[in-house]
Amino acid sequence: MDLTLLVVLVIALALIFDFTNGFHDTANAMATPIATGALRPKTAVALAAVLNLVGAFLSTEVAKTISGGLIREGDGGLQITPVMILAGLIGAIVWNLVTWLLGLPSSSSHALFGGLIGAAIVGAWSFGPIDGAVLVSKILIPAVLAPVLAGTVSYLATKIAYGITRKRQRDGFKVGQVFTSSLVSLAHGTNDAQKTMGVITLTLIAAGMQPVGTGPQFWVIVACAIAIAAGTYSGGWRIIRTMGRGITEGIEPAQGFSAEAATTATILASTHLGFALSTTQVASGSVIGTGIGRKGASVRWKTAGRIGLGWLITIPAAGTVGALMAFIAGLVWWGVIVDVVLASAAILTIWLLSRRGTVEAGTFHQPEPTAFVRPKRKKKRSRR
Amino acid sequence: MIDWMAFVTVAVAALLAAGLLVTVFALALRVGDSPTPVRKAASLVLYGVCAFIVLFGIFLIVPALHDPLGL
Repeated sequence: MDLTLLVVLVIALALIFDFTNGFHDTANAMATPIATGALRPKTAVALAAVLNLVGAFLSTEVAKTISGGLIREGDGGLQITPVMILAGLIGAIVWNLVTWLLGLPSSSSHALFGGLIGAAIVGAWSFGPIDGAVLVSKILIPAVLAPVLAGTVSYLATKIAYGITRKRQRDGFKVGQVFTSSLVSLAHGTNDAQKTMGVITLTLIAAGMQPVGTGPQFWVIVACAIAIAAGTYSGGWRIIRTMGRGITEGIEPAQGFSAEAATTATILASTHLGFALSTTQVASGSVIGTGIGRKGASVRWKTAGRIGLGWLITIPAAGTVGALMAFIAGLVWWGVIVDVVLASAAILTIWLLSRRGTVEAGTFHQPEPTAFVRPKRKKKRSRR
Repeated sequence: MIDWMAFVTVAVAALLAAGLLVTVFALALRVGDSPTPVRKAASLVLYGVCAFIVLFGIFLIVPALHDPLGL
């Protein structure tokens, strides 16, 4: 297999993954402002896209943990090859698309880890390269802690918000929502585009096209920033629907603000105080928490359960696809081509299936379709 | 294994930060809902505090701000 062609294929797949990462995660920031009518659906995704684009340029620390964390390199481990990265990426893309089709918010990072783990297992023909203890402590336990913590924070924030304000004052929370959700988007851009940049840089280094120990090249940063922003703008409406309406019905502005505040606070605390949590899991937990926090609101535990099940099988599912792809790639020299053809077929099939019942910006009925939030003129009415 | 201390730190920090932001913003809405100029001014101050909290969030997100040397 020609190395240059292989590198080109990996870069193309990495950018496709970045795109799916974008539209998968729009919901984390924008589901609640869309649900409460704080932002129009199109405005919300445009804002998220711009912030992701900006965010991608803000940070240049390479996400080397992509390969370093779970997969043992060097002595007793194995060399990560471009073929393994390609197989892992296909696993991640396919799983991201399947969960999008089902409208399930799931972690794109976990999909990527899963895909790479699967490919690495086949590459070594043993479970040796996988660090089981790291898998439990970095992925499984945080997956339980993230929603529980975010849910608790969000629950208390909701209680505070409803305790302090009177009913007619609560529309003002819409203005606040714009800011809190923007913070989530910006934080997402600085983190998630990094992962793809890291993958592409690793591939270039592995192929000997870039010196060892150097950061991402400028064109890589630009390409990743554009891919994640485009993905965000395309707006995974199915997931936005689940997060904004599926988990708990009729989110009010005060709830949206509380949930977003909880999400922002939890994510920023986790990145800066050294306990990594998945943005998707935090955001989902916040929505559940605010659903419990308001009197009269209810949480659809069946939907929440489906989402939790999705999280459990993300790594094995993406891993299985990644392993299969790595297996095919290892059989014959043109195996990589077969992989790419299979991946394209899978993407096309999922896209065709999604055409059966489209969910788009227009699908969202908003409570008050205001162009943007304007402070409401005071009504001369006696206090209730 | 699991760094429980780090988790507790994160949990406390997240609770305090989110609680503070929601409390201040909600108070700003509550206090501002009045025609008296004093309460209007108080409400503006509270919104200012919220803006400060948001700026701190941006400070934490942008590495060039909190970590200019890339340490």
